[in-house]
Amino acid sequence: MAICEILIYPDERLKTVCAPVATLDATVDALIQNLVDTMLASGHSVGVAAPQIGDLRRVAVVDVSRSKLGRDNHHGLLTMINPEIISRSGQKVMREGCMSVPDYTGNVTRSEEIVVEFRDRDGSERVIHATGFEAVAIQHELDHLDGFLFLDRVSSLKTDVFRRKG
Amino acid sequence: MPHYALTIIGRDRPGIVTEVTEILFKLGCNIADSSSTLLGGQYAMIQIISHPSIDSTEELAAAFAPLEASGLSAFVRRIEPEKLQKQSIGGEIYMISVYGSDKPGIVYRVAKELSERQVNITDLNTKLVGSEARPVYVMMLEAVLPESIDEAELTRVLMALQGELQVDITIRSITPVEL
Repeated sequence: MAICEILIYPDERLKTVCAPVATLDATVDALIQNLVDTMLASGHSVGVAAPQIGDLRRVAVVDVSRSKLGRDNHHGLLTMINPEIISRSGQKVMREGCMSVPDYTGNVTRSEEIVVEFRDRDGSERVIHATGFEAVAIQHELDHLDGFLFLDRVSSLKTDVFRRKG
Repeated sequence: MPHYALTIIGRDRPGIVTEVTEILFKLGCNIADSSSTLLGGQYAMIQIISHPSIDSTEELAAAFAPLEASGLSAFVRRIEPEKLQKQSIGGEIYMISVYGSDKPGIVYRVAKELSERQVNITDLNTKLVGSEARPVYVMMLEAVLPESIDEAELTRVLMALQGELQVDITIRSITPVEL
């Protein structure tokens, strides 16, 4: 469909709580395709959430299978409509970078394991148990649906936020 | 827009940042990138600054000359526009910590092993800690690996150096995950 421009903070759409998808229609399918195309086009991205391309609906895609950290533990391409984390455990810290906050990276503590419930692209209800990097990526993308960036999750500007060098 | 590198250093006291940035503000300079810290009692500022019209290193340097009277040394260097472009620093990023009893050449030997393999140091801090009787040298650096060297090879090289210098060296990846 289309590779979309990624919105960059301080675009206020990135700080908006997105609305649930009411009915699965062609516009939702088109949105998912745009998210997948945009994710693939960026090369290194493992996920994109709808608000990052300016669509304020609760839709996100994640695919860690192409990355070194995720290739041995993943569910392939996840296309998630109205996703909810229904259970979480453990802790894992990773230094996260986000296409919408390009100049900085940050150490974020997230749940090591999560159970996520969502409606898939074909309309089916799915519940998956994700761990490790895939779990971190899902939590990062789902945060976008609530208007949270990784900067909202770091505990210290002094020790957890890093400027990208260049 | 002309860009300059501005370096200021002098014995630390309250007010240095104010004095320097007042000059920058009154000139109409923009601070594009900067880092400042206290090193051995000296406050050191390094800034990349730009100005819409001042096109002379001498003219800019003259504006900072009065700082000498308050014990600060200022140095201005012009950055040629073609060298201003940010280079994208690709590759895996590692934090390398080196510490051990103080001896000459720790920084040099580590840096040499890295540069010989085209490993780019992007951040470096060193400190002398411990007691006067038993000084301990600590160095922490961030480095970007080119594709020609991987973590295993870097580890092998630094472990050999660890034995030779009798210091402790640890390596850990700090490459951000791109989400």
